[in-house]
Parts: sequence; C-alpha cells; structure tokens
Amino acid sequence: MSRRIALAAGAALAALVALPATASAHGLVGRQDLPIPRWLFAWAAAVVLVASFVGLATLWPKPRLQVLKERVVARLPAIGEALCGAIGIALFVLVVYAGLAGNQTATANLTPTVVYVLFWVGIPFISALVGDVFSLFNPWRAFARGVAWVGRRVAGPDSLPEPLAYPERLGRWPAAAGILIFAWVELVYVDRTDPSQLAIMGLAYAATMLVGMSLYGIDDWERRADPFAVYFNLFSRLSPVHWEKGRIAVHRPLEGVVPLTPVPGTVALLCTMIGTTSFDGFSQGSTWNSLAPHIQQGLLDLGMSSNLAVQVTFTIGLVVMVCLVALLYRLGVAGMHTVGENHPTAELAGKFAHSLVPIALAYVVAHYFSLLVYNGQATAYLASDPLGNGSNLFGTASATINYGVISATGIWYVQVAALVIGHVCGLILAHDRAIAMYRSPRLATRSQYWMLAVMVSFTSLGLWLLSAANQA
Amino acid sequence: MTFVLAHFGHWWSSLLYLAPVVIVVGWLSIQAWRDRGREEDPE
Repeated sequence: MSRRIALAAGAALAALVALPATASAHGLVGRQDLPIPRWLFAWAAAVVLVASFVGLATLWPKPRLQVLKERVVARLPAIGEALCGAIGIALFVLVVYAGLAGNQTATANLTPTVVYVLFWVGIPFISALVGDVFSLFNPWRAFARGVAWVGRRVAGPDSLPEPLAYPERLGRWPAAAGILIFAWVELVYVDRTDPSQLAIMGLAYAATMLVGMSLYGIDDWERRADPFAVYFNLFSRLSPVHWEKGRIAVHRPLEGVVPLTPVPGTVALLCTMIGTTSFDGFSQGSTWNSLAPHIQQGLLDLGMSSNLAVQVTFTIGLVVMVCLVALLYRLGVAGMHTVGENHPTAELAGKFAHSLVPIALAYVVAHYFSLLVYNGQATAYLASDPLGNGSNLFGTASATINYGVISATGIWYVQVAALVIGHVCGLILAHDRAIAMYRSPRLATRSQYWMLAVMVSFTSLGLWLLSAANQA
Repeated sequence: MTFVLAHFGHWWSSLLYLAPVVIVVGWLSIQAWRDRGREEDPE
C-alpha cells in the first residue's frame, strides 16, 4: 500500500511540474510591486501551515468543534420569507428577460454580469460572511413553495401527493454534475457570454429544478440536488450565522461545516469546486496556451471543426484538473488509512470531506476577488440600463469601473491571505475530526501528516496558479 | 519529451513552487518512518 501511495504521490507531483506557470486573477489591473519574489510566498505559506500543524498537535489535544452549539438570535416572520422569495423570482425574471430581449453584446447586457459575477462569485462571498442567504431568495424554491401553497389552498391541505423518497445513493452527485456543467459553460463553451443563451439555460435549469422538487420534495431536492443551492450552502457553513426555517442562529466560525453529512457525491462536489476554479486560472496561463494548440491540432486532424476542437481541448483540461485535485485528496486519505486503526479509505474520505470546504472558498476568493471588485462595479450602470438599450432608470447609466479601488499588489495580498487562512482552517477541521476519531492524540496527529502534505500541495498549487497572473 | 524540453524556460520556475511540497512530504515521510520504527520497537 505504501509503495502504491508513493507511486501515486510521485505521479501527482510530476503532474504538478508538468502543468507549469499559469495565469489567473480575473481583471487584474496594473503591476504588482512586491518586496520578495512570488515563489517565496509559497514557501512562507508552507511554513505557516507546518507551524499551524505543530501548534494543533501540541495545543489542541481534545475535539472542540464536533458538537454544534447554536444560539437563536432572531426569527424571520413567514411574510419575510415570502417577500425574499418574491424578490428572488423577480430578479430571475429580470435576468432572463434582459438576456432574451436585451442588447446581445455581453458587456452591455445585465445577464452575463449577474450570472458570472454577482451570482457565481458574489453569493459565495456573502454566504461565507452571513450564512445561506441564497436559500431565502432561491427563485426555484420560492416558486415551488408558492405553487404548493396555492395547491393546498385550492384543493385542500391533504390533497397534494407525498413526494418520492430521494434516492440515498444519488446523494450530492446531481449537485456535483450541475456545478461541473456550469463550470464547463463558463470556461469551455464558446458562446458562454451570449445573453440569450444564458437566459435559455437559466430557464432550462429552473424547469429541471421544479421537476425535481415536484418529484422528491422541495427541501430534499434543494438540500441535495439543486447544484447552486448545495454549492452556496457549503460556503455558508463556514459562516457563524445559520439561517434555517425562519430562524437565525449563531455559532462559532467553522463549527457549522462539521456536521456536513458525507453522503455520496460530497467529495466529488468539493473536488469539482476546487478543480474547476484551478482550471480557470490554469487555462489563462502561458503553459496551457502553448499546450492547447497541440491538442487542438490533433483534434482538427481527426476532422473536427475548429470550435469543437477548442471545446474538446478545454473539456479535457477541465476534467484532468478536477481529477488531479481528487487524486491529491485521495492520496491524503490513502495515507491516513495506513496509520493506526485502519479506518476504511471510503470512510475517511467522507469523514474529512468537510476540511475541503474552506479550501474551496479560499480558491474562489483567490481567483475571483479581483473579478468581483472590478466587474462587480458594472452593476451600477447595468442596473440603470439592464437591456443595454440606452435607458437610465436610476441615473447611473454613465457610471464607470474604477480600477483604482484596489491595487494589483493589494489583490495579491488578499489572494495569499485567502489561500493561507483557508488551508489553515482546513487543517484545523481535519485535526479536530482526527482527534475525535482516533484513540490517542498521537495517532490522530500521525494520521494528519498526510493531510498536511495535501494542504501544502493545494496551497502551493493555488499560489503557483495565481503567480503567473502578471506573466501571461 | 521534445515539447517539455522546448518549454523548459516556461516551467523551470514552477519548481520553486513545488519545492515546499517536496520538502514537507520528505520530512513527513521520515517522521512517519521513525514513528513506525518506534512502534515496532517500544524499548
């Protein structure tokens, strides 16, 4: 087993080397003025992680996060929930309408910015700070609840058929597939910024969610299979605020992610989240841009059209990156399996999956912070002119993006801080779970050697992906 | 192989990012080996 792990580790490290310097950092503007070379940040981050590991091993001998202790601080009236749902539906209708009826230039239309900046990037930031607000505004959930409410009023309280039991074996697999498909659209699909196509995809997504909710029940479907609801909920678990069923509770940071149930598909979803974000950075780098044409040429020689060849090439890159992330995690888990009590690998993979959540958030912050800060400002003029037809509803149509709001150097420090803090949080979560699982703190610490290696690998990979932002 | 060598200039600096991973994995492997030895020989 050890030899297999060593061979696999060698393969993963070789893959890291063979996937060289890349760029990322959307919308990065200006030159970074750093006091030390960028690679030294990776070294410093590794030192911080090792120091954190040693600190945890010596100062954290008992589990502290395994029991969720919440305090309810407020309750949201039913009318408030209904109002938030109505706002969610109205915003969804506006985005779809703008996409279908508005100017089809991506930068002039509200839809691409809302989908790729405010929704995809903005909501994870908000969720990590103040909890699962998306659940309140989720338009599909709100619509389904509205229909169910009307159905009960019209046909009687017991008239609606009971939903089917959600298949346990499906777990979070539908969510993992949905996030992978969305990432494919964002990173691979050639018409990804076409407003009308985004609107049609939004409608198709809504229809799929409504069918799923009608079959398996609104709450079960939302909790397991609605890709965006599951995705945002994972980030919200890092927040000290917990919104659920009209009550608002608070708990210690990180505590909310510990009860994450490792149903099938959970690890796949988290690896997809990290892998797709990584590929977003990697695909903008010089290495991918020099490697991709070779693959494309091979595909063209097979008779594919140029558009199809580009998409197949990027699909290969996307899938390989997700697999690489999954391999790294699997290596950590396989290493843990060799220590002490021989917990089955599948059990360990599930039990420690929650430690990947802060890493996924760290990757989102590191890769998309600049996109949110710069392109998020476009909301000011797009809100006044959502269709891009020259209207000026709020008098802000002439607003522009201020690229001086934060310097490139400032963004780099935010990215490094996000990656380091995210991985230290991952270490804390993994250590606390190990302490709870293994019979002695010494065994628990030994099991975490492998997770430390995984965390250092993810940190180095993340900084390596970001570091070439100025080199592309 | 030709491709990798031809682009060596692109990616050699990436090795600097890999170095901490190699060092940590090496250190942890030695540590794990020593722990195992201690386990087998409690005296």
